[in-house]
Parts: sequence; C-alpha cells; structure tokens
Amino acid sequence: MRDHRRSRRPAALLVATALAFGTVACGAGSGSAGSDDPNTLEVWTRSNPDPAATYERVFAAFTGKTGIKIDYQPVINFDQQLQSRASTKDLPDVMINDTALMGSYQSQGLLKPIDPASIRGGDEITEKTWASTVGIDGKHYGIPYSRQAQTLMIRKDWLGKLGFKAPTTWQEMLSVAKAFATKDPDGDGKADTYGMVVPGSAQNGYAAWWGASFLWQGGAEIIAPDGNDTYRPAMASTAAVHTVTWMKDNLFCGDNGVTQPGALTAVTSTATNFQDGNAGMYLTGPYNIATFDQTLGKDKYEVIPAPAGPAGGDVLADGENIYFGARTGKTAQERALAAFLISPEGQRLAMTGENQPVVRIPVNSTLNAAKVHGDARWSVVQRAYEDASEQFPNAPDFAPIKQDTADALNAIFTYCGGDVRSQLKELDETLAGDLKDQDLLK
Amino acid sequence: MSAPVIDPVRPAAPDTPAGRRPRAKRTTPARFDTALGWSDKPGLAWTFRILLCAIALGIFAAPFLTILSGAFTANASGSSLSFLPHDSTLLNFKVAGERGIWDYFTNSLVIAGGGLLLQLVVCTLAAYALARHRFRGQALILTLFMLTMMLPEEVIAIPLSLVLGDVPVVHLDLKGTVWGVILPLGAWGFSVMMLTEFMRDIPDEIEEAARLDGVGELRMLAQIVLPLCKPALGVAGVLGFIMIWDQYLLPLIAAKDPTDYTVTVALSVLRTDPEVGSGVVLAGAVIALIPSLIVYLLLQRSLVTGIAAGATKG
Amino acid sequence: MTATVTTPVARRLPRKKTVVPWLFLAPGLLLALVFKFWPMAKGIWLSFFDVRPFLGDQWIGLDNYTRVLTDHRFQDAIGHTLVLGLGQSLGAILLGFVLALLLEGQARSLKIIRTAVFLPAVTATAVVGELWRLMYYPTSDGLLNSGLHLLGLGPVQFLDNPNLALYSTMAMGIWIWAPYNMVIILAGLAGVDRSLYEAAAMDGVSLWQRLRYVTLPAIRPALGIVLTLAAIRGLRVFTEVYVLTGGGPAGSTEVWMTRAYTLGFTRNDIGGASAASVVLLCVTLLLTVTVNYFRKRGDAR
Repeated sequence: MRDHRRSRRPAALLVATALAFGTVACGAGSGSAGSDDPNTLEVWTRSNPDPAATYERVFAAFTGKTGIKIDYQPVINFDQQLQSRASTKDLPDVMINDTALMGSYQSQGLLKPIDPASIRGGDEITEKTWASTVGIDGKHYGIPYSRQAQTLMIRKDWLGKLGFKAPTTWQEMLSVAKAFATKDPDGDGKADTYGMVVPGSAQNGYAAWWGASFLWQGGAEIIAPDGNDTYRPAMASTAAVHTVTWMKDNLFCGDNGVTQPGALTAVTSTATNFQDGNAGMYLTGPYNIATFDQTLGKDKYEVIPAPAGPAGGDVLADGENIYFGARTGKTAQERALAAFLISPEGQRLAMTGENQPVVRIPVNSTLNAAKVHGDARWSVVQRAYEDASEQFPNAPDFAPIKQDTADALNAIFTYCGGDVRSQLKELDETLAGDLKDQDLLK
Repeated sequence: MSAPVIDPVRPAAPDTPAGRRPRAKRTTPARFDTALGWSDKPGLAWTFRILLCAIALGIFAAPFLTILSGAFTANASGSSLSFLPHDSTLLNFKVAGERGIWDYFTNSLVIAGGGLLLQLVVCTLAAYALARHRFRGQALILTLFMLTMMLPEEVIAIPLSLVLGDVPVVHLDLKGTVWGVILPLGAWGFSVMMLTEFMRDIPDEIEEAARLDGVGELRMLAQIVLPLCKPALGVAGVLGFIMIWDQYLLPLIAAKDPTDYTVTVALSVLRTDPEVGSGVVLAGAVIALIPSLIVYLLLQRSLVTGIAAGATKG
Repeated sequence: MTATVTTPVARRLPRKKTVVPWLFLAPGLLLALVFKFWPMAKGIWLSFFDVRPFLGDQWIGLDNYTRVLTDHRFQDAIGHTLVLGLGQSLGAILLGFVLALLLEGQARSLKIIRTAVFLPAVTATAVVGELWRLMYYPTSDGLLNSGLHLLGLGPVQFLDNPNLALYSTMAMGIWIWAPYNMVIILAGLAGVDRSLYEAAAMDGVSLWQRLRYVTLPAIRPALGIVLTLAAIRGLRVFTEVYVLTGGGPAGSTEVWMTRAYTLGFTRNDIGGASAASVVLLCVTLLLTVTVNYFRKRGDAR
C-alpha cells in the first residue's frame, strides 16, 4: 500500500495534461476547411460517387466559363458533416440538397436569403417552382435546381396479357393490382406476383413520403396553413380518415398480394420487387427509369400518371434546391454559380452523360425534359409535376412532421384491428406538438 | 471496485497432482486435448460430434452460401436466391470493380494494417501495466478504457469530426489522411480489457523468477508475458481486424472526398445505389470478407494450440 | 490462498519505478483522451443544450432529459431493448460456449469447420442485414419459408408480424455474436492445462464434474470478458435492428438507440439524442460495474 502514495504524482501529472488538452481543445477548432480565396467556392452535394461524377462535369464547365474555381465535396452523411462545420461557424459556400430540408436549415440560421431577381435567368423558373423556396418569413432561402413528381410505373405486358387498360382511378388500380396478384401475369404457374410495390417502413419517414400522393388525391393534408404564418395539424380531417381507411382496408389489410410481402419494413433500396419482375406497379419518382430499362426492359413497362382519387390526381413533388451558406461573403460568385446551374446549358449538362443524371425535371422552363433526356416518358413526369403535384410544406422544419406521420401510418397499416379515426386523432396531437416546438401553432 | 488483486490461485499451481508429472514430450491421448474429452476414434460420441458439427455448419455457414451464390448470379433478387448459383457469372464483380471497389479495398487494407498494428501495441502496453503492476487508480483506468466502448459512436461523431479537423495542441488536420482513421482506433477498450484479463492469469512465480534474473520491463513483456497469452493476442488480432475493417462512420467523418472511402463505406453506398442490384452488393461483400478470413486463418492457430502444459510452471 | 498476497512487482520494486505503469499506459490514455474522452465529454455537454450549431447553443438544463424520459416512444423502447439485449446476449454466450466446446481441437477438419462457423463475424454488418432480409423473405419461395414449406408450414411473416419481428431480430443477433464469443472462449480453453484433464480422468470424475470443476474455473477470464462485453453491448443494440427492420413494423422492434438515432438524425434534435445516449451510458456503466463486482466476488471466493 506504500506505493500508492508514490503513484499519485504521475496521476496528477496526467490529470494536468488532460486538463491542458481540454482547455486548448476548447479554444481550437475553427476554419480548417473552406478556402479563403474569393475566387474559389466550396460546394457540397449529398451524392454517391457516381452522380458526383456528373456534378464534377457540370462544375468543370462552370470553371471553364467563368474562371471561378470549385472545391467540390460530395458528402454521404451530409447533415452530420454540416452540423460539424456549423459549429466551427464556417459553412460551405453553396450546398445542393433536398427541398424538404430547407425549413430545417433556415430555422438553424444556416442559409442566406435570396432575391430571385438577383439570379440571372431566375425568370426562366416558373412562379410555382419559385414558390416552393419561400421560408417562414416570406423570403426565399433556396434556388430550385431539379424537380420530380411521382408517377405510376406499370407492367405493360401484364396489362395486355390480362386484358386490362392502364388504370386511371383508385378503384381501377385496385382491380389491376388484384389481377396482377392472382391471375399469374408472368405465366409461370406459380402465385408469385404482387400488385404494387410499397416502401412502407417508417424509417426515414418513407411511409409518409410514399403515402403523401394518396393523401393529396384523397383531399387530405398533413398540416395546413392557418393564416398568419401559422399551421394546424390536419390529419384528423374527414378526408384524411377516409383516405387512410381506404389505403388500410384495400392495400394492407385486404386481399393478400395487393402489395408486396414485407411492404411494411421496406425502404426504397429494399423494395426491389418491380425491377425484380414480380410486382406490377410502383408509385415512385423517376429515379430508377434507367435501372428498370436495364433489368426489366424498356418494352415491358410504361410510365403513366398516378390514378386519381376522390379529390383528384395530385402527386407528391420534391427535388433539390441550391442553398447559399450563411455569412460566407462570396455572394457574387455564388450567384454566378447558381445562374449557371439553372441556365439551359447547366441543366442540360446535369441531365445527360454516362453517369446518373442529377437534374430530373429541369427547373428551367425553356427546357423540355423528354427532349433533353431523349425519352418521351419524361414528359409524363414533367406534366405530372407542372399540372398535378404538390410539395410538402416548405416553410416549416418538416422532418419531425414527416417522421411522426410515417410512424403513425406504419402502425395503422400494421395493426389491422385498430381504429383509424382515433389513431389519426392521436397523430394530430403529436403533430400539434411538433408545430408548437417550432412556434408555428396558432 | 477495488484495485484488482492478481489471483494467485490457479489450477496449475506447482503443488497440484498434475505438477508432479514429468513434462517431457506430450504423449497425452486426444481425449485430454479438449474440455469435453472428444475422442478421435470412430464411435458413438464421434458420430454425435459429426452430427452436431453438421448442424453448426448448416446454421452458421450455409446462409453464407447464399451470399456466394448471389455474388455469382446475374440479377440476383429476393425471391430467387438459393444456396447454389443458377448461372455462374463474374459480371457482378466486374460492375463492383467499375464502381471502384478495388481502390476502396486498398484504402481499407492500409487502414486495417496500420490500425491493427497500432492498436495491438497500444493495448498490449496498457494491458501489461494494468495486469502486472499495482498502482493507485488502476480500477478507474480500466473502467475508463471500457467506457470508450460504451458511448455510441453516432453521438460523438460531430465532436470527433471537429477534433479530426484540428487536433488539440498540435493543430493538425487529419482529415483526408489515413491517420484520421487509424489514430482514433488505437485505444480499443475491448483489447485492453481482454489482454488485461488474460495477463492477470499468468502465475506470479514466472514473473518473479524472471525478475530475479534481472529481466527489465520491456523484455518481461515481450519474452515472458506475451508468449504466455498468445491465445488472447490471437483474439485481439482477429477481432481487432474485424472491428477496424467494419468501421463505417469513422472513415466517413475522416474522409475529405470519395477517394478516401473504405470498402465498408463503399458497400453501404452500393446498397443504396438503385442502379446496381443485390448481386453487386454481395460481390462486394465477398471481396470485403476475404482479408478478415485470411487474418482469422493466420491467427487461429494461436486460439487452440494451448499453452504447452509445462510452460506455465516456470 | 490468502488475500495478503500482493504481486511481486509491487512488493519489490524500488520506489522510482512506480512511474513505469504510467509510461506503459501513456500512449493508450493519450489516444483515448484525444479521440474518445474529449468528444465524449463534448457529447455529454451537448445534452444540456438546445443544439443549434450555427446560431449558438442554448443552455436548457435538464429539459432534454425530461423530454426523453417522458416520451412514450422511448418508454416503449425500454421493454424491447431489455428483451432484445438480454435474449441476444445470453443466447450468443450459451451458443458460443457450446460451439467452442464442440469445435475445440487440433484436427484439420475442425479448423475448417471453425473457419466456416466464424463467417458471420467477418461479414460486414450491412451485408448481414441484407442476407437475413433475404432469408426471412416472407413468401413461400423465401429461403427459410421454402424450408418450412417442405414441412407443410405456411409462409411466416418473420419481419412484418409485429409479434414476431423482435424475435426474428434476436435470432440474427445471436447468429452474429455467437461465433464472436466462440473465439474468445476458445482462447480461454487453450489456456487450460491439459494435464488437469488427465489427472481428472485418473480420479475418475464424470464429464460434467470435469467441466464444472476444471474447465469452467480455468476459462474464467474468457467468460468474464464475454459477460462484460454482453453488459456493455446488450443495451446498446442498434445496428442489428437498423439494418433489418429499422425499428418497424409499427415500432415493434424500436430499441433505445434506434429511437435516439431517429431523434438526432432525422429530427435534427442533437441535444435530445445526446441526452438519450447519456442515459444509456449511465445505465450501461452501472451494469458493467455490477457485473464486474459480482465477478470479482466470485473470483475471491
């Protein structure tokens, strides 16, 4: 035991070192990345390596044109990296990311407000598209870059074989789905086909993302504007109850096979039944047309507008915006980049090439998606976006609202014995809490 | 927790009956080689063991055949997978190669090699101090090392990312270098804990004898202690390699651009890439698990060789 | 032996040598300090704030904690975490022990079988999730279901049935961790003095007694590690759920960490996620210390 006293000294030394480390570390941690060169813009996108190659090409063209250099960083864990940069108060100059994140970023003060008139070529973006970047205070916080809307991918060969025509209403869609599931459309003698693919997991809010189109078509909304920059939850409305009940009774708790097995734990990357050739319909965005062409074959399926519900045929629209990081002090260069990105040339570059396109429906109204992509099916998506689509409300921080809605929908579809009305009422209260957290509840 | 007392009671204390046996060449029959005394001659027990082995293989290895068969099948998908490939093709590997899997693989190898070396050295040194020395705060230090395993890394991701961008005191930017991944892996609570436990179990008599011969601390560690805990080192090596190889968040945080990614990151990227099917992901998985398997094969000898019965007697 | 025995090192070393252990510890402590404890301290610090990195964090005291602890979804997750953590850890320890006993030995065939059985541990977690999703494929042509089909049993909804999903996840967890534990226990078995088995045989003890009185005491370090590991990892269970079910269906597999993850990364509530993690850290620490206390007491006896 004698030795213990002795050993205190090194221990104390160590603690002292630890403290020294701690204090220094507190003071450190500023501006490591981010170039101070006014002629270099740091640009982040949330991209895998393949689409990143497309962005590289676009930025190279920009640098060639203007001489402004781009320090481009494709980031996978975008929000984590962004938070860590935010705590050093040194944001990337330009970010390209989902439309749905605008409210969240704006509420954290990460974004610079944008005057549409200050962006050259901004008048080539339609009013409707610009309207989707208005923040809670009425100012714009993003520049639209790429848009998309959900359409129905459907097996043309199966329809033909079973003698159906493309469905235009929910009821027709349901009949087709049942026929796909039971009438052996692939002719292998086995009951191994399903009506439609659903990414119905609550993870990352997928159930709400997929279900949104149905809600719009049934005349429901998740939250509704309540005058004066406030919102109210709207999931307990009669329209919402009717819609969700219809989905539950017919798609999840009705006949087997209308949706693919495992739908309630599927996310988009695991809901591969359509491309695997065992499900006949998929309501989704135009991300995977190239994949479907490759695995199924162009001649096997077609892209049609989503079947209409009782309140119409509106589908969910989303896409990517260009955001300017707050307090970066390179406004002129950032505007030049944005102007190039939304110009016909910039958009065209991003829609073509051998890597994955990063612009789907161009925001530049002088461009025609089908022409640039060289594929008539894109006009279906463009029409859906322009004529019959609705985005998630862009002003509030929608992430918690989407997640709570997805949790509730997933639970309703899982427990077939539950009471939809009371479950939606409960969701409504949760949503009210979310809005209250953001001071958006009246 | 009090400061641990090295447990002097050990089955192999010199006064047990076993200790009296002459320790010449090992002539023990096979049934004394294993805890259950398996016999290596055909018989009822032997048949029973083969049956159990078959079941174990069925449970643990057969699902793996699916990975293999999927990797060699074009357009592998959920309902069509089986234990054997329908039509063998290397297409999936080709696509994985086009997505740069080999570059990521090289990154992984560099990181895993360097990381494992550093980790083994650092953890062995720490374990030696914790197991073979007595000092104040010992239990606390061990708890601190175990603490490093307890906080989910997702939570420390953002602060860690700041540290990697600007290391305290020395102000180095480790992002985009392999050090950004290797250094944080150096102190692994599991290895420290395991090596400590096993080193504690070495009888004091051996150390005492060596001390009398005037052996210094480093030689004591390298020549006396380490050879005696070879099985533990084997485990630390194998599991350490797997742990480093399987890192996902850390390489992402430490990366400056996609060329810094590791094969595990690449696998997750492939998994969410709509343009490649399950087959390519599985091909990537097959590529990714080869190095871990090789390390396991190399180190597994130390797991079961056993300490030559006489050696522990000193 | 008596408890008065201290190590020879402590007894005989000249005084100045007490600095030696700290020299040995220095690299490890330094690395842990910079790359683990500092970020960890920062993480704990954040749990008391409304985290807004750019606008400046706001001190809100224990608000994050009350919010997490009163959230009914976190409360629901506690039960799942306990069932999954306990079931998975104990299952993996038992199975790992059985595997180690079964596969111990020098024969080449055993070496091959051991390597094959170890495969789950070397496969990337993301891929294991993928693999089990395929195995659990809910139609009669899924791998497991086609097996059941042969036995005349209908297709089982392994992951979509909210009453079954947690146990399906547990089975995968055991599958991953049992080979892992096997390796550690094998290392313990390697250290058992073979001559003890011989002596036991000469004394004519039964196999059970030999296992109980010779093998088990000798592999106590290995068992201790496996238990401590289970205590540390059991409640932290995350990846297994995340890659397989993502917490669904209807939250029936939601565990503490998946909930915390959702809070932090899809709801951008980093303060709340930190608070949830700190709660978990405290419970885990308590559990680990308890496990080790009882182990020490067992050792002393």
